[in-house]
Amino acid sequence: MRVILEAKVRKKPFLPIEAESIIPRNFLKGTDLAVYEGNKERKLVDLFRISVEGTAVTPEKIEVVLKGDTSRVKRIGEYMDAGKITISGDVGMHCGNFMSGGDIEILGNADAWLGREMRGGYILCHGNAGHYCASGYRGEKTGMQGGRVEVLGNAGDYCAEYLTGGEVHIHGSCGDMAGVEMKGGQFIIDGDATRPCGNMKDGTCMIFGTVRQMLPTFERIGTKKLPDRKVTVTVYKGDVANRGKGIMMVKGTGRSDE
Amino acid sequence: MLIKDVVCPFCGCLCDDLDVEVENGRIIRVDNACTLGSKTMVGDDRLKAPIRRDGKGWIETTYDAAIEEAAQILLDADRPLLYGWSRTHGEAQGIGVHLAELIGGVVDNTSTVCHGPSILAIQEVGHPGCTLGQVKNRADLIIYWGCNPIDAHPRHMSRYTTYATGFFVKDAHRDRKVIVVDTRRNESADVATEFVQVEPGGDYAVLSALRAIVRGRGDVVPPSVSGVSREQLVRVAEMCKNAKFGAIFFGLGLTMTAGKNKNVRNAIELTDELNRHTKFIISPMRGHGNVYGTNEVFTWITGYPYAVDFSRGIAFYNPGETTAIDILRRGECDACLVVASDPAAHFPKPCVEHLARIPVVQIDPHPNATTHICRLQIPGSVAGIDAAGTAYRMDGVPIRLKAIIETGVPNDTEILQRLYNRVREAKGE
Amino acid sequence: MTELLIRNACVFDPLNGIRGDVMDIAIRDGRIVESVQNNADVIDASGFLTLPGGIDSHSHVCGTKVNFGRYMSPEDMRAGRTARRGKMHVTSGYYVPTTYGNSYRYSTMGYTTVLEGAMAPLEARHTHEEFNATPLQDMLANTLFDGNWSIMEAVHAQDVKRAAAIVAWTLSSVRGFAIKLTNPGGTEAWGWGGDLTGIRDPVPNFNVTPAEIITTMIEANELLHLPHSVHLHCNNLGKPGNYATTLETFGLVPDLNKNRQTLYATHVQFHAYGGSTWRDICSKADEITKSVNAKPQIVMDMGQIMFGRTMTMTADGPMEFNLYCLHHNKWSNHDVELETGSGIIPVLYSKKSLVNCVMWAIGLELALLTKNPYQCLLATDNPNGAPFVKYPEIIGLLMSKRYRDEECATLHDGIDQRTSISSIDREMDWNEIAIITRAGQARALGIAAQGKGHLAPGAEADLAIYPIRCDDVDPATEYRKVVEGFQKTRFTIKRGRVVARDGDVIVDGANTTFWVNPTIPDEHNVANDPEFVKKFEEYYTVRMSNYPVQDVYLPRGRCIKTEADI
Repeated sequence: MRVILEAKVRKKPFLPIEAESIIPRNFLKGTDLAVYEGNKERKLVDLFRISVEGTAVTPEKIEVVLKGDTSRVKRIGEYMDAGKITISGDVGMHCGNFMSGGDIEILGNADAWLGREMRGGYILCHGNAGHYCASGYRGEKTGMQGGRVEVLGNAGDYCAEYLTGGEVHIHGSCGDMAGVEMKGGQFIIDGDATRPCGNMKDGTCMIFGTVRQMLPTFERIGTKKLPDRKVTVTVYKGDVANRGKGIMMVKGTGRSDE
Repeated sequence: MLIKDVVCPFCGCLCDDLDVEVENGRIIRVDNACTLGSKTMVGDDRLKAPIRRDGKGWIETTYDAAIEEAAQILLDADRPLLYGWSRTHGEAQGIGVHLAELIGGVVDNTSTVCHGPSILAIQEVGHPGCTLGQVKNRADLIIYWGCNPIDAHPRHMSRYTTYATGFFVKDAHRDRKVIVVDTRRNESADVATEFVQVEPGGDYAVLSALRAIVRGRGDVVPPSVSGVSREQLVRVAEMCKNAKFGAIFFGLGLTMTAGKNKNVRNAIELTDELNRHTKFIISPMRGHGNVYGTNEVFTWITGYPYAVDFSRGIAFYNPGETTAIDILRRGECDACLVVASDPAAHFPKPCVEHLARIPVVQIDPHPNATTHICRLQIPGSVAGIDAAGTAYRMDGVPIRLKAIIETGVPNDTEILQRLYNRVREAKGE
Repeated sequence: MTELLIRNACVFDPLNGIRGDVMDIAIRDGRIVESVQNNADVIDASGFLTLPGGIDSHSHVCGTKVNFGRYMSPEDMRAGRTARRGKMHVTSGYYVPTTYGNSYRYSTMGYTTVLEGAMAPLEARHTHEEFNATPLQDMLANTLFDGNWSIMEAVHAQDVKRAAAIVAWTLSSVRGFAIKLTNPGGTEAWGWGGDLTGIRDPVPNFNVTPAEIITTMIEANELLHLPHSVHLHCNNLGKPGNYATTLETFGLVPDLNKNRQTLYATHVQFHAYGGSTWRDICSKADEITKSVNAKPQIVMDMGQIMFGRTMTMTADGPMEFNLYCLHHNKWSNHDVELETGSGIIPVLYSKKSLVNCVMWAIGLELALLTKNPYQCLLATDNPNGAPFVKYPEIIGLLMSKRYRDEECATLHDGIDQRTSISSIDREMDWNEIAIITRAGQARALGIAAQGKGHLAPGAEADLAIYPIRCDDVDPATEYRKVVEGFQKTRFTIKRGRVVARDGDVIVDGANTTFWVNPTIPDEHNVANDPEFVKKFEEYYTVRMSNYPVQDVYLPRGRCIKTEADI
């Protein structure tokens, strides 16, 4: 079953919409769902042109396709457990929060907190991701616990903050403090990163571009050849400031300032 | 008439030892205050009545009419923002939060442009702190990091730290050491035992290095960290460990530079580490007189110190999303109530531009930058001058601001209560 | 004049010897009366269990430390969020809820009076502000004196009258209710990062011991004729082997008051550990209760822990730092100049942890092994042992051996070697539950005379009507019904007004704050003592004139005046 939601033109296009109801499972019972525009409750149909093709009896068989301007639609795919969501353009904040299964594909850019506190499933973002991609919530000690987030473009600051499990792969570069507070999982950055892995406790981070402002509290423990990538990386352990046992692998020496 | 022990409402120090001379309902002299405080108390240029924009100019209006118009603006909005609060008393702040709750708005305070990142850091790792008297009576080492108290909190050093005589610190000059850490030499550095000059954006790395040294892993630290030599870092770490009671005070140099909340977190975790060796505390240098009060009041009502979004009925909090700066930069709100602050003077340009596009109501006695972009301004009395109420000092000590003159101007609590009642009535409650 | 008649109530009112009588209760203008007129409003209690309003004699709900617990815990605020509805404001939080969250939840559980366990005098204004935002309970504030410099000086000078005069000035200035000592002397040592290891250790720089502080304050308390006794959080909280300190402390306590205890020892579960390390920790509840059973001058509360996440918060700063070193979770500390300290740390009590299982058992053992229920009251040191919303489960556990056995079966195996919980058969009855949740508290706090905790004519009409039919429910087997019944009253009545019904609060609330004002002869009043004033102005960072809490903070305050024997 395919559910196509095309965002309507709104009188106040800048108002955020919160649409955590947009997950495949909810469309098993129809399309009479509530979403919120600012402080007003709206029907899904008030804000989207809805068309449904085919039928399904399990969420796994449902694909939700979003079209039009969805850059201000927040919380799509929150708590999603199965099925697929495809977003043709950009998506607002908190896409795929707490997701435990299924796939989300974003053809444009994703705003901040993509895949926050994710537990399982797969998110693929073709464009760039905002700040706090695959991160945790304020005050919470556990971030993303499982699943996979892949961003073909760049990610903003604090990417994979508090990463606890699962995998995050940024094909482009990360902003400031990628992997800060990491305590598990695997984090791959194909491009550059600034001050990565501060206060890291555990987990593995690999950076294949340039590291800017390498932190002074990572202990060099050797080098390693990665045959898949055909590169040799320098291996660091840290963050020593935090009694950390995390591993950071950096192409070359890692210190652009040396 | 001489009024003693008056509380200065200007900055987070809330000095409560001012002598104020009042004559014919006017303040004519202030003793013991710093220049910032004196200016606040004496130079007081105010609006005489509510004003509303009328075509090209302003016309005076009544409180009733102004409150009616403000209520309509808030009722018509789909995402109203209620911002400011740091220069008014706690009682008004409380009604402000309830007003936001009633209309499904976002309520935020000036922490968003000062110590919001400190709050985020505290939410990650906690806050080993104390009241300022602990520092005054015990501390033999003071660290000012990314702040310039001589400029921004002129009496901080004499009342609480560097020059203050305390029970266990009889000779402040001899018994106390001061370390100043900043990106450039400031006036406060001139009185320091040790000045640590960090390259801009280098605070996080320096803090990490200090943590490693304190826990005995100085071996990994390179010879120079963000412009600071390892020798100096080792020396500073030793001074800290050898202190009987150390106190770190930090300002916007940590909270508003790259890394923001992570800088503060790193400083807190350095403090935690030092507590395994000796007694150490850390404290933010809060700016506005009652900004800490906004955090306290917001917290007991909503559970969060700032940036609270009620648009879904429940309280939602996510700085970076629900903070006034971010909402305005993204152009998300469609009306704004500004109380006891001046966002047009302090916010980035895109934020002010959005404010200029939407209806803005300001409750503030002073003509200010925000006056130029607001539709309606309602003057209230000033907390600590002609309005009494509660304020919280930067260390959490609650102090009652006094009304030292009588002006007959309604206070913010009364204005907001009327506004609240009017909105409630219009909603049929 | 407003009148209310509650018909057909199954009443337990231990202070008046009423045990399950089905009767009518007449209320006029907020107080219990003999009878009302025929046109009074009527509530049919349908034979349901009806008790005086619940009283929590030790809970942390208002003030600097509690609010900081909220401030640092956005992750907890995500739990238990409710929107504005009817008369109810927004609430957030599970273990450190907002003030309205606390107030609504207590009220729907039938609680009408709560004592805040720890108020630093310097920050009292904050506590009172939050009391006003906790509108459905009458509030009282334990006032901290554990590290008070002028008290320690008076103790050192062996000047009980001086100590009493300082207490009197402070309590009346900050609108406090009782003397609280938290790790006496230890909080001052923590000002330098240290702690004390026992009640005979001298406090650095002050040359007094906790034992001297405790005994002097007990005498001062009785000189002032305060309604409550000294309220003590013993030294060495949470350390294996600390039961010895607790027993030694109990040994210090004379029997000085014929109406109530002379010492209230709080959250004794945290102070009843045997062993020498976390590895060999075991219960010493038997020794503690043996002591208490022989000492009518002591009342304690359980300090029960329940499994799950919660927040520890106490004036005991050094203890919290030790916890931080153990758990590495976020840690806050807030020392208060010349007075006391405080610390906050989140914890998870886990059934997989033998230490936590032993702690759980000790709390229950204390209640079940104490012969006189007036001597061991129900409390969790909210939220330290568990948020107070767990009280109904604790009631269930105390009333049902089967429930305890079923719980024990899910715990760490080591619990049988380390505690005697499985061998205790006692099951409490309704009357005993009424004692350990209200009558005992009213007597211990000395507020029965203020009309609290009982239902005799003249008493305040605070009542809780629970949807439990005592005759139809066998608590020993149907403990689930007991737990559910205590979670939500059918009606909670406060000063003669229905404030909550079936889990919803239906009024704005208008509580009262009780405080004490002991009258001291002028020559003993420290406010007239130039030396006291000089020291105050020199070492505090607020002026003495700005220290007292103004009347405006207690819009419905009720002052209890006493005449001091000085």
